[in-house]
Amino acid sequence: MMLRTPPPKKRRADESGPPESPNSDGQLVIFEDLPVPEPSHNHSEQMLCTYQCRQMVKSEFFDALSSAEKQAHDYKSKLDALNDDFCRAEAERKKFRDQFFFAEQELAATKGREQALQEQLLKEVNDSQGRIKNQLKACSELELYQSGKFADSIKAVNKRLLTLSSKVKQASVKLQSEMNLRKKAESSAASAEEKASLLEGKLTHLSESIEREKKHLQKELAHVKSDSKFSLSRVTADLERMECRANNAEKELVLLKQHHEEAKKRLDESLHQKSELEKKLSGFTFPEVSSTGSDILVKHLREELRAFESEVREARKLKSSHEDIELLKEKLLEEKGRRERAEVELFKLSDIQLSMTKLEEELSSWKLLVRDIPGASCAEDIPIKFAELQREVIESMGKVGEANARLKQIEVSLDAAELGKQNADAVAALATENAGALKSEVKRIELMLSSVTEERDRLKNVIDELKAQNNVAAGGDLVNGTLFKELESCLAKKESYIKELETNLGAQKEINSHQHNELKGLNERLNNEARRIKSLEREGDRLRSEISLLESKLGHGDFSSANTKVLRMVNTLAVDNEAKQTIDALQSELQKTKEKLQAVEELKKQSGDATLVDSYISGKIVQYKEQIATLEKREERYKTVFADKISVFRRACCELFGYKIVMDDHQRSDGIPVTRFTLQSIYAQSDDEKLQFEYESGNTNILVNDYTSQPEISRQVDIFIRKMNSIPAFTANLTMESFNKRTLS
Amino acid sequence: MGSRTATKDIITLRGSAAIVSEFFGYSANSILYNRGLYPEESFTKVKKYGLPLLLTQDEEWLESGKLQRVVLVIMSKATNEVLERWNFSIETDSEVVEKGVSREKSDKEIMREIQAIMRQIASSITYLPCLDEPCVFDVLAYTDKDVAVPFTWIESDPKLIANPQMVKLHSFDTKIHKIDTLVSYKNDEWDEQ
Repeated sequence: MMLRTPPPKKRRADESGPPESPNSDGQLVIFEDLPVPEPSHNHSEQMLCTYQCRQMVKSEFFDALSSAEKQAHDYKSKLDALNDDFCRAEAERKKFRDQFFFAEQELAATKGREQALQEQLLKEVNDSQGRIKNQLKACSELELYQSGKFADSIKAVNKRLLTLSSKVKQASVKLQSEMNLRKKAESSAASAEEKASLLEGKLTHLSESIEREKKHLQKELAHVKSDSKFSLSRVTADLERMECRANNAEKELVLLKQHHEEAKKRLDESLHQKSELEKKLSGFTFPEVSSTGSDILVKHLREELRAFESEVREARKLKSSHEDIELLKEKLLEEKGRRERAEVELFKLSDIQLSMTKLEEELSSWKLLVRDIPGASCAEDIPIKFAELQREVIESMGKVGEANARLKQIEVSLDAAELGKQNADAVAALATENAGALKSEVKRIELMLSSVTEERDRLKNVIDELKAQNNVAAGGDLVNGTLFKELESCLAKKESYIKELETNLGAQKEINSHQHNELKGLNERLNNEARRIKSLEREGDRLRSEISLLESKLGHGDFSSANTKVLRMVNTLAVDNEAKQTIDALQSELQKTKEKLQAVEELKKQSGDATLVDSYISGKIVQYKEQIATLEKREERYKTVFADKISVFRRACCELFGYKIVMDDHQRSDGIPVTRFTLQSIYAQSDDEKLQFEYESGNTNILVNDYTSQPEISRQVDIFIRKMNSIPAFTANLTMESFNKRTLS
Repeated sequence: MGSRTATKDIITLRGSAAIVSEFFGYSANSILYNRGLYPEESFTKVKKYGLPLLLTQDEEWLESGKLQRVVLVIMSKATNEVLERWNFSIETDSEVVEKGVSREKSDKEIMREIQAIMRQIASSITYLPCLDEPCVFDVLAYTDKDVAVPFTWIESDPKLIANPQMVKLHSFDTKIHKIDTLVSYKNDEWDEQ
């Protein structure tokens, strides 16, 4: 992103005085016009000033508009605040109204209660009166029967009456209090009503003030609008005035032209007269050398001559003024064009602003998107990133393929190893099974042995018993003897059997230990195999890394010179092309010489002898000399025309790009020719503000001098030329800055 | 496609050499066109004069099994600096060359492999750095020492790139010649930053 380096100076709103023109004499000076001073053209000053005046008016108008907008904004905020107040007051009013309603309800309730109490009291009074009447009746009756009891009963009745009267009194007190309450409620209701009316008054006051404010604001807005309209009309009036002035200038121009033509005519006449006089003078000089009258005549003539000369000078001045007028006319046209363009631009401005905001939104969205992409700081990075990613993908695909192949290899070896391991495991399992079986057999045999020894012991006991019996019955029983023998033989058999079993057990144990040993050996072998597999895997990894290294070397293009040599195909195309070109050139030359030869031969045939040829040649020489002379003349003419064009071009460049360019050739210390360009801005504030560039075989480099080594300028040089590699951007930026300094300060 | 025998899936040394040299021709054309080495009008010329010469010589060497590598070098015209090297490494089955036996691989499969490489070459412009200066190319052949140098070829240095970036492309195999394709190119300064 490129920002203009210094922040643009804010235009002061109170910029009321006439704008200072950039030069001290109040003129925009264009370089190359400097040698022709223009003291007598006030209108040109006006012409040049119009643009700035308009800028001024425009800026004023913009400032007024912005201040009016600001005011409108302020009033709007005020209005908002008032609206808020109004809302608050309304809320308060509602609250009070609710309170009022509540009090009214309370009042109604107390009224209802009072009525109920009065009714109750009336009822009670009526009841008591009825009872009194009854009792009076009863009394009168009783008077007849019991005159003695009469006084007592009267007393009781009196007592009752007293209680009743006290009750009535109580009821009346209650009533009083109720009445008081009611009054209080009524007064509170009245006060609430008052409050409500007060609030309503306030509210109306507020709304009135808001209305007034609104009206005031609207008035002001209308006023601002009319102001802006007025300023717009003023601008257009200014514009029209300018146009009028331009028309006047044109008219003046036409008048001046006519003057000029007259002057020209007069000049011609005077020139003619002068030449005639000169002729006369030359004619008269000799015969009237001696006469004094002729001297007087000569003097007279000389005076006349001087007068004519002065006239001629005037005419020349007029001519120069005519040129000036043409220049001014051009400028006027230019200004007009500028004005139209500015108007068009003004119309476009709003559209552009709209589109700008849109674009900014889009830009921000894109930036967000870019931010989402990791490792990309700006939009230019994205394609690079893409390319990188694609490349990475391709590389990684290749690597994946290789890795897969290696993996397969390793898997195959692993499978083999696992197969071996499984075999070994199976053998080991078999062996352990065998060992288990043998152990169980050994146990069985031991069990058998223990049972046999038990039986033997039992038999021995039996034998001992029998022996004891035998001892008891020494006479001996034959049957017993035979039994004894039988038992003994049985015992011997058993013993031999036990021995046999023991030997069997030993053999089995031996076999068992042997198998154990075998198992151990197998386990050891298994471990060995596993270790070997691991070492082989390590070896494989090493070899693979070595292979990749070698492959990269091979891809790089390395080769062993022992068994390889590198051949290069001769690029037949280039050779062919060169040969063809030389052949073409030679052929064309040959054709030309042939034609020449033919011409010479024809000449020879025509002339027949040498003298003719000589005269022909001398004639040719004369012809060629003439040709040379005409060509030289043409060259001279071309040179002048070219010089004119160059000066026009330089002036145009100066006007179009704002830089006066001086070109000179140098030779560096190492003898290499360099062209140096010195640029000076037409808005430069001093002669030292020069930019120097060196141009050498298509490369342009800026040279460091006092001006460019200023910190501000050197920063711009760094940004625009060193980083962005754009001299035009640098010079344009500098032009704009100088222009701003000149016009705005 | 060359001199293949009657049975489709049998491939001889001669047939293989023909396939490989034709592959070189096509890929060189594709590279020169895709990398914009020459404008299209002069491209036909390259086809006419440059490549057939390369092809016939290649075929000879391939049949004798003495060609180890063919390299297409792209250089800057102004500075002669090597910018890209298209490297085609060749592995020849020595048994076929010595004993003249044939191998078995279907024509279709070889073509499929070659097509994959051609597609990769065409798409390589997406990641290769831009050639924004006029360039020229050279064809190098890595051969055995005992090969006689023909008159259109001269001995040369290998024209290497210092510290190159390398991208390996697919390879193809005729069961007699195995061709590995690899492109190495000058490290772009922008990438390093």
